[in-house]
Amino acid sequence: MDTTVTYILLIIVAFIFFFPCLWLILASFSKSGTIYSFDGFFPKEYSFASFEKLFTDTSLYNYPQWFFNTLFVAAGSCVLGTFLTILTAYTMSRFEFKARKPIMKTTMVLGMFPSFMGMIAVYLLMTQFNLINHLWGLILIYSAGAPMGYLTQKGFFDTIPKAIDEAARIDGATNLQVFTKINLPLSKPMIVYTALTSFTWPWSDFILPKLLLKEKNLYTVAVGLMSLDETEFARFAAGSVFIAVPIVILYFCLVKNMVNGMAAGAVKG
Amino acid sequence: MKRKSALFLAVVMGISLLTGCGGTSESKTDAKSGQGTNGVFTGELEKNVTIRVLENDTAISKGYFDELINAFNEEYKDKGITAVDANMDQYLDLANDGPYGYGPDVLYQANDVIMQYAEGKHIYPLPVESMECYKEIPKTAWDAYKTEVDGNTYYCGVPINVQTAMLYYRTDLLPEDWQTTWDKDGNQVPDMVENWNDMYAYSLQRHQEDASKYGYMKAIYDVYFSSGFLFSYGGYVFGDNNTNPEDIGFSKGEAEKGAWVLSQLASAMNEECIDDTINTNAYGKLADGTYFATISTPDVYSTFLDELVMEYEKEGLSTEEAKTKAQENLVMTTVPKLPKSGDLSEENPELIDAKTMGGVNGYAVSAYTKAPNASLAFVEFAASYDMQVKRSEMLGVAPAREDAAEQVGGVSQLLYQNLEKGTIVLMPSIQEVAQIWTPAQTFFTDIAKDAFRSESEKKYPDITSMKAGLESVDKQIHDAIFTLK
Amino acid sequence: MKERIKNSSGKTRLSMLVMGAGQLAYGRIGKGLLFLLAEISILYYFISRGFGDIKGFFTLGEQKGDAWLGIQGDNSVVMLLMGIFAWIVVAALICLYRWNVKDACHMQELQQQGKPLPTFRQELSNLVDKKFYVTVLVLPVIGVCVFNILPIIFMILIAFTNYGGNIVPPELVDWVGLQNFSKLLTLSQFAPTFFKILGWNLLWAVLSTALNYFAGLGLALLLEKECVKGKAFWRAFPVLAYAIPGFITLLAFKFMFSYGGPINQLITASGGTAIGFLDLDAKWTARIIGLLVNCWISVPSIMLLATGILSNRDTSLYEAAKIDGAGRWKQFQKLTLPFVLFSTMPVLISQFIGNFNNFGIFYFLRGGLYLDGYFLASDTDLLINWLYNLSIDNNYYCIGAAISLVIFIITSVISLIVYVKSPSYREEDTFQ
Repeated sequence: MDTTVTYILLIIVAFIFFFPCLWLILASFSKSGTIYSFDGFFPKEYSFASFEKLFTDTSLYNYPQWFFNTLFVAAGSCVLGTFLTILTAYTMSRFEFKARKPIMKTTMVLGMFPSFMGMIAVYLLMTQFNLINHLWGLILIYSAGAPMGYLTQKGFFDTIPKAIDEAARIDGATNLQVFTKINLPLSKPMIVYTALTSFTWPWSDFILPKLLLKEKNLYTVAVGLMSLDETEFARFAAGSVFIAVPIVILYFCLVKNMVNGMAAGAVKG
Repeated sequence: MKRKSALFLAVVMGISLLTGCGGTSESKTDAKSGQGTNGVFTGELEKNVTIRVLENDTAISKGYFDELINAFNEEYKDKGITAVDANMDQYLDLANDGPYGYGPDVLYQANDVIMQYAEGKHIYPLPVESMECYKEIPKTAWDAYKTEVDGNTYYCGVPINVQTAMLYYRTDLLPEDWQTTWDKDGNQVPDMVENWNDMYAYSLQRHQEDASKYGYMKAIYDVYFSSGFLFSYGGYVFGDNNTNPEDIGFSKGEAEKGAWVLSQLASAMNEECIDDTINTNAYGKLADGTYFATISTPDVYSTFLDELVMEYEKEGLSTEEAKTKAQENLVMTTVPKLPKSGDLSEENPELIDAKTMGGVNGYAVSAYTKAPNASLAFVEFAASYDMQVKRSEMLGVAPAREDAAEQVGGVSQLLYQNLEKGTIVLMPSIQEVAQIWTPAQTFFTDIAKDAFRSESEKKYPDITSMKAGLESVDKQIHDAIFTLK
Repeated sequence: MKERIKNSSGKTRLSMLVMGAGQLAYGRIGKGLLFLLAEISILYYFISRGFGDIKGFFTLGEQKGDAWLGIQGDNSVVMLLMGIFAWIVVAALICLYRWNVKDACHMQELQQQGKPLPTFRQELSNLVDKKFYVTVLVLPVIGVCVFNILPIIFMILIAFTNYGGNIVPPELVDWVGLQNFSKLLTLSQFAPTFFKILGWNLLWAVLSTALNYFAGLGLALLLEKECVKGKAFWRAFPVLAYAIPGFITLLAFKFMFSYGGPINQLITASGGTAIGFLDLDAKWTARIIGLLVNCWISVPSIMLLATGILSNRDTSLYEAAKIDGAGRWKQFQKLTLPFVLFSTMPVLISQFIGNFNNFGIFYFLRGGLYLDGYFLASDTDLLINWLYNLSIDNNYYCIGAAISLVIFIITSVISLIVYVKSPSYREEDTFQ
């Protein structure tokens, strides 16, 4: 009984999440370019043409190039951003120092500022640093901003008991060792979560790359898709579907790490 | 100029506008200090330079731009000047990118966009009177690029082609016997594409015969196309030839009649005219015969044509046949005439010319270019008769040059005449134009929605209420411009 | 501190004069050289451009540029920005200087007590141990200062200038004091719209945060159930939703609810009349659709997060509870919820902030409307959308900055109070 209800719920949830995606996928296989030549939810005719065009017709819309640009930026900011965020969160959770509470309050408050108002300043700053039209510039901004979101990770570290740390300290481990040898392995699920979010953020953001990348062959996928003509709907859909692929693959690779967190009741209990 | 339905573009454009105004003045025109602008264009071509040219996407994708730069490069090979694709977004903001060296040298954009740059002096005034094309282009087109600084008149761009609302329809969707029933004046042109009263009548008839089919369809909310109806009855955007933002004229004259026409047209459509549905599906729906006619700009002619060709191919014709048939059947022409009374159901009405909002796209030279003379040479080359004719042939656009318009003939010539006659109302070139869109768009949406509200709920049951609605649009625009000033 | 300065020896005083000199005098060459190098490079920065930047911060430019005449003018906005940057460097210099003096004093004390001075190597190793937090925080702090704090200070200062409208570079911008704020106060159209939007904005933020949070948590718990086989498979559906960028989802939803969209096609095909889900009369339907669409977009990431956190649960507690005869609801109430709430309280707050400032949802779904009774806004607009209408659509950057400062103060005070009172801030070690 209970199991049946669970499965019914799961099917409903899966349907809700899958349906719009399915629609997008089908649209990408639609033969006609415009979005409204559908029969209700589904295209009238199917073909691979839009995928083919996406990868071969690159004179005006160089999708493969955009894809690799995005991959580069996302991977770069994923590595750097995760590194910085986890370290920040860990320190804020484990160390007592004077500036700690003020920093916590400040970062909390800073997030409230309407971000697009600051965009002018970011753009000007990047022109002064000569980082316009450089993918590195984007990575820099994404990873510099990443530690601002440390609160989630800190919340996680707060739930890891300090008892192990103290035991290790008594055994003469330095703080660096305590972190790398003990806490890091324990926080795998959180690292995976952080990596995933910091990977997807540049993947879907378009305001910042639009602002900082002026040359068409430096575009990221999001910016590029935006520049597609409105009659190119099938290509737009194909592009959108294809950019979801790396994230889905990443998810399937990482999903095990995410759930197999701590060994049940390792310390407490 | 094609108004993208995609709203998100506006986000980015808005932000880059913001930043654009943030980073403008670090001008790199050093080494020329002390000289007047006349000193910039010495006529001496810079040697061994590459000029980056920003074209619009259609010109690139249809291959015209390649032809243009190849021809130019061939001609200027021995002088060491090469033109290349700037490889940037067609909607880029020069004020934003230029000062830091990220902008193009030559750019092709609409007159209202280009003239925004002139205010901040991001583009050079051009020595137009000494250019070959000067006499061939009508004064109204040049005026779109005119600006006055300290009592001197400057022209900041070279008009290339005229953009305005055009009627698209298919001759094979006309009633078989149209020559006897829909051609009262016997001029071999169907009445419904000549005046809106017959278009309205035909739309109702077509929908009645088959509930899934419609006559004329167009998104009413689209300010660019709908405001022409207001202009036809005396409305305008800004007073003093679109230069005085204090005087907003959407409700002036008998503009409410235009609103009434729109609401009558909406009643012959379905709810899709309220939002942007039709904007994106018009190509397909005209091709599959759901719509008989719609309105759009001339630069999308090829898109309509391609869709129609695809449709014919589906019916089993070969590509060649489909192409010829589509070219025969798809007609792009000027907008029909309006009844003076504003009543579309009137029999034998007195007709007046319909005005449309329009623009003149053209080339301008960035003030941040290192090679102004070579850039000017490029503009001159692109504005030449040969290139203009070619552009028109490949893209279907209407040239601003008289000789080119004559050569191309047909609609281009009609448009050229309309421009001279003044039935094309050019978009204002002042900065305040940015504030008109949302208030006007809200009103037009409301008018369209009203056609589908029940009798008791109607917000605009009569023509006086439409007048009041337009007056509140004027007030809103005024507020938007002045309250915070 | 004063006491220490009074008692300082000659060597320590050397440090006050030239950074690092004291350290050199105590024979700590490596550290001394580092301080010296820092001082020299900062001084170099000030001589080469820093002083000019600070001057520019006050004047905001004196020469107006004119490209036509070939005059290279001052760019007020860049000057403001670089001025702020120079002030940040000044602040950094002061910190370094204090640290340097403190360090010298510390060495003096050690010497007076006859203890050995730490070697350079020892100090370095200290950086991965006792002072580990300093090492770790240096990079993030610099990054955040430059790319987050600097822009925010910039925008705040813009509120005190006349930047915007016709006064954008190459025109020169000037300081105008509180003029923008007094304008806001005296404007009669302003207040009614502000409070109307603020009310809806708060309601939206609370509702959407609660909805997203509980839906996400519920989904995570559902997937955690033992009877569910193939968890990775079921979990993949929300992840798929997560993998598609938000703006594409929003465009797709906007299309679905449009008059020509599939939902209305189905309605009309079955004989009904098309419904304007998002048109200008659709106040509450549009708001509800906004809530649900936002839920669709946000739930997957909350689910992933909750899954990660739930995996850290202490399962033995649940077994104990089961033995005590606690039902499933009781377990959720007494064990799961407090645990998850505790560790996700910060997330909840940042979700609240994110939703409060959620620009995209209504901009994409229902942008481009100014409705009656609102001053340049529509009834689904949030404060941030209104801010956008005012400041970017209509060019009033300074006013926009002033409004965002007001909004910022209101929202940050609220969330700061909530945060400081929350258990995850006050009792950080509840679960340790």
